[in-house]
Amino acid sequence: MTETFHEFVVHRTPALSRTAYLLTGDHQLAEDLVQAALARTYRHWRRIRGGDPEAYVRRVMYHQQISWWRRRRVAERLEAEPTDRTGADHTETTALRLTLTAALRQLTPRQRAVIVLRYYEDLTEAQVAEVLGCSVGTVKRHGHDAVRRLRLIAPDLVDGTPERSPR
Amino acid sequence: MTARLREALRVAADQVPGYPVYERALATARRSRRRRATAAVAALVLVVLAGVALPLAGTPAVDPATGARAALPDRIGLPPLGTRHASDRPALGPASVIFTGQAPRLQGWNEDGIVGVVSADADRYRIFSIGYEAPAGDQVLLSPDGRYVARPAGDSERPRVDVIDLATGGTRRLPSRVADSVLTTPVGWSPGGARLVVRDTVPVAFDGATYRSVLSIVTLDGERWSRLASGAQEASFGSVVAFSADRLAYQYGRTVAVTDLDGRELSSFALPVESWLAGKGAWTPDGRLTLATRRPGSTEWSLRQVDARTGSASGRLSLPAVSGVTAIRLLGWRPDSSALVVAYQPEPASPARFDQPLELDQRVAYGHVRSVRLLALTPGAAEPRTVTTAPEQVLAIDVADEVVQSGRVRDAEPPGGVGLRFWLWTGLVGVLVIGLAGYWSRGWRAERRERRRRFRPEPRRGG
Repeated sequence: MTETFHEFVVHRTPALSRTAYLLTGDHQLAEDLVQAALARTYRHWRRIRGGDPEAYVRRVMYHQQISWWRRRRVAERLEAEPTDRTGADHTETTALRLTLTAALRQLTPRQRAVIVLRYYEDLTEAQVAEVLGCSVGTVKRHGHDAVRRLRLIAPDLVDGTPERSPR
Repeated sequence: MTARLREALRVAADQVPGYPVYERALATARRSRRRRATAAVAALVLVVLAGVALPLAGTPAVDPATGARAALPDRIGLPPLGTRHASDRPALGPASVIFTGQAPRLQGWNEDGIVGVVSADADRYRIFSIGYEAPAGDQVLLSPDGRYVARPAGDSERPRVDVIDLATGGTRRLPSRVADSVLTTPVGWSPGGARLVVRDTVPVAFDGATYRSVLSIVTLDGERWSRLASGAQEASFGSVVAFSADRLAYQYGRTVAVTDLDGRELSSFALPVESWLAGKGAWTPDGRLTLATRRPGSTEWSLRQVDARTGSASGRLSLPAVSGVTAIRLLGWRPDSSALVVAYQPEPASPARFDQPLELDQRVAYGHVRSVRLLALTPGAAEPRTVTTAPEQVLAIDVADEVVQSGRVRDAEPPGGVGLRFWLWTGLVGVLVIGLAGYWSRGWRAERRERRRRFRPEPRRGG
């Protein structure tokens, strides 16, 4: 069982790490989030390994992130400069990444989760609602609020009217 | 639209390395499992400690000298909420008084028929449940030395009498040996406490609508079960039973029979109008029997003595009469030759007329009684003297013969507040709530500790 779990972690950690970083905007928080989600997955591995473990881990990560925020166990740490693990090469790509990171920090965890699920994971609003355990209307509202906020604080990231997504 | 946002998300994500969390995730999961298991074991241990070990802790042996200090309390109170049970450790030891009634704390949640037990020498109270209305002194009987309580038990398929040992908390079962019996009830103790008289109810019609009573005498070990008499249930065999050292008197219908301890009838006589065998203390020290008699047209009751063979008046008792009661019941005789009687105070709302003819079982029925008192009827005294009072809705009482015969009465201070079981349950619930709260918050606490550890000031990893 451990070996299978190990294989799962080896194969899926990079993708999970990327999602976690987008959710938290912080490498250490993201690492903690992946670690906590995998620990919980390991405890239930026997039950979920026959299904879709990655979906389970992602669902845990989304809920865990929102839960941490609710319990205020993780203080939103606004830093003068976002953590940069790749060195300071001030290219356009880096500038875009820094802009995104700073902008995402201005969103609530649920808004951030909707943005990541909708525009990074490419899920429909209905799928997002299922993952987050809320209604489609709630997803719409969070998505709308998030995009409107991003448009205010980072107009370069969002332009034009919000697109209408398929259900 | 959001194409730029999608691109930014992918750009940002592409530069995120895979975090090396495998070992730490396993360690976290295993630590979480250990904590969960530890919490479960700790909760189990606490439950065991609180529920079982605490009542057992510090169990002192029952003081054998308790009987020597036994005394009648001058008042009894209702058992506090959470009063310990008669079977709880440490055992109560011999009792002086048991009582029943219709006060809320004597009825439990579901009219369970709670019996209150008062220790022989102090105001320590215990209770036990019968499950239905069973008056003390009538169906629930305290043994002469106060150590045992006999009560009806079982069901119609297997009726029995249970004898509760207050010195150990244990119970001895005496299954009925009367064929087809559906109910067996204790009705009298022998003076030494070695025998019980029990009454069985046996259906004689197929539909069970007609019954007969069977009166038996049984040794406490259940080995010998001798039939005394039987007859129609309406005759109320053994409605009153009185033991002496070598004889037994019991009433059925309007007749009193006297037998030896093997059940051989020695004599019988008819009772005068408005007279009843006076109670379990009906035998006098000189071998006569005492009757309780109501003066016609009044609620005035008095005791008189009769010859045990013929029932004829024998000697004159100069005891004061008791007025304003539904009935009296003689418990026994005290060293100063006074009689200790239970006086049943009438329920004002009762429709019954107690100055008119009425059967004794109706006169002491719960619905007709407001409260009971123990009165001493002293020779030559003008009035009865109240020895023990009880709260309203305490409707039946029994006193150990040795306590009656000792004549000792003590100033009583019935317990107030709440009993030990209340605190045990409160503590147990508190422990469970704290345990559950700790269990539910375990993840939160563990992760907070982890975060504190991880966010200590230390050089951050560079990119």
